[in-house]
Amino acid sequence: MATPKEAATLEATIKAVGLAAGARVVGIASADAFRDRVPEGFRPDEILPGARSVVVAGGDGPTAGAWRCPDHRVMEITGYDLRENVAVHAMCDHIERAHGHHAIQAPSLPVHGHAPPMSMMLAAELAGLGSRSLAAHIILNPEYGLLYYAALITTLPLVPDPPLDRPACLHPGCAAMYKRIGTTPCLRVCPACLSGTVKDGVIETSTYDRERCHSRAQTYGIGSFQKALYEIVNEDDPDRRRTMIYGDFFTKSVEALGFYRDSIAQCFECMRVCPVGRKHRKLR
Amino acid sequence: MSDDLPPGAAAVLKSAAFKAGAVVCGIADAAAFDAPAGQRPADLLPGARSVVVVGGAQPRVGDWAATSRAVLETMGTTERIQSVGRRLAQLIESEYGYYALFVPPGTVSGDRPFLSLMRAAELAGVGTRSLAGPVLNREHGFLYWSAVITTAPFETDQPEVESACPAEPCREMWARQGTTPCLEVCPASRGGCLEGRLENGRAVRTFYDAPRCHTRVHTHWIGGFQKVLEETLNEPDKDKRKMLLYGDFFTRTLWAVTYSSTNIAQCFECMRVCPAAHPRKELR
Repeated sequence: MATPKEAATLEATIKAVGLAAGARVVGIASADAFRDRVPEGFRPDEILPGARSVVVAGGDGPTAGAWRCPDHRVMEITGYDLRENVAVHAMCDHIERAHGHHAIQAPSLPVHGHAPPMSMMLAAELAGLGSRSLAAHIILNPEYGLLYYAALITTLPLVPDPPLDRPACLHPGCAAMYKRIGTTPCLRVCPACLSGTVKDGVIETSTYDRERCHSRAQTYGIGSFQKALYEIVNEDDPDRRRTMIYGDFFTKSVEALGFYRDSIAQCFECMRVCPVGRKHRKLR
Repeated sequence: MSDDLPPGAAAVLKSAAFKAGAVVCGIADAAAFDAPAGQRPADLLPGARSVVVVGGAQPRVGDWAATSRAVLETMGTTERIQSVGRRLAQLIESEYGYYALFVPPGTVSGDRPFLSLMRAAELAGVGTRSLAGPVLNREHGFLYWSAVITTAPFETDQPEVESACPAEPCREMWARQGTTPCLEVCPASRGGCLEGRLENGRAVRTFYDAPRCHTRVHTHWIGGFQKVLEETLNEPDKDKRKMLLYGDFFTRTLWAVTYSSTNIAQCFECMRVCPAAHPRKELR
């Protein structure tokens, strides 16, 4: 095991590799920290035997210019650039080549229902990069707000970062709004999906309707493809079937499959009104 | 140029573009776009001042020389040049503090792009239209394009005065045979897509059959998928239906859809024969 001084250099070096590869933030969690928080089968050491650390990279979401675009179809198509995945691979390569320890990208795509083999949200929290919000429990970084997360699992022992000393949500402005009118920007913009209460300036309860949110956030993608295909297959009239197949909705759904990595979501409203990290969206 | 931008900002931006992989980079005045309402830079980003255009990721000399047409049919990629565009958008926001919007590579609906990248390339002085259709750069020929709309008032470039098309060999061929390589390989009068002439040494395109070109260029993509799906559902015989679904054509459409970012087009004939489209380099 490295000495504390060497370890500090080690962690800083690995983070520098991730940041240079395009991550906005990088944090480290202990693999053990997952043990009490997730069910058996979803822990880092059950994915990579001997796992000691989880390194998490947060990548930028849409640019401030994209948030400003009055045409909602722009953000529907181009959500982000996946640099956090590139950063994770760069750090994996570095750990295996320079330190001789196993390092793999943590699997995060759903394998059944909405459940991924490993939670990137929890990884980001444990690595001190963010905390859950009232807005669909999206992890907010206190500095940048909405980021996208990827992680790596490694057998290399690293000193973990502490969790946030205070959660990014509620923002002081939201706490003041709740005190004044009993709601927050996200709860007000999407009462259909979100609900929650605030006590003494912190989240007291928070729930969200995941199925409803999912069907609204991803109007074009795998779900819409399945829905449209089901209706097409069940349609007996060849002329109507033809209209459905060549119609805009099905065409967009197939396009979304092809460009799925870019076409992340079609609703950003709770994040659009969220003040956390907004200073980075105010440009000239 | 505005005093708000540091001196040489455009040069720094272009240098970053080249470092990220662009072959050419030019900047157009956002006000110069003579497009219908809804398709101008300021319609996508209020206050837009400049449009940064990058070109590159073109087929290599070896790709053009490959004897298997399947090479270009499956490996043409705009992905690399799009990642350059995304990087520039982030750089403009983080380094200069101006809004920047990466123009999504998809379409708004049908074949309509969010912003014409061809027009953007022309106005940014990095290419001119060819008799065959694509915008060609005078030095590098056929390129793929990406663009960023920004509120930053970068120093702009002027459209090119001299066109890459027609190339000298095409002028000679026209004088000799009354046709050019592209018109000869895809003549509208014999089932092709193009018609045109050279007039005072300049290319004048008189006809372009876009729908026909589209069906030939994208034989294995979303359109191909929709076509087989319709045929399969209309087919009463179960065995024939199975053949349609497991056949080579449908299998290739599925590859094409899932690899949309690399599987751009399946016909390059007008560009393959164009002397201006790719350098006739003798390599070993």
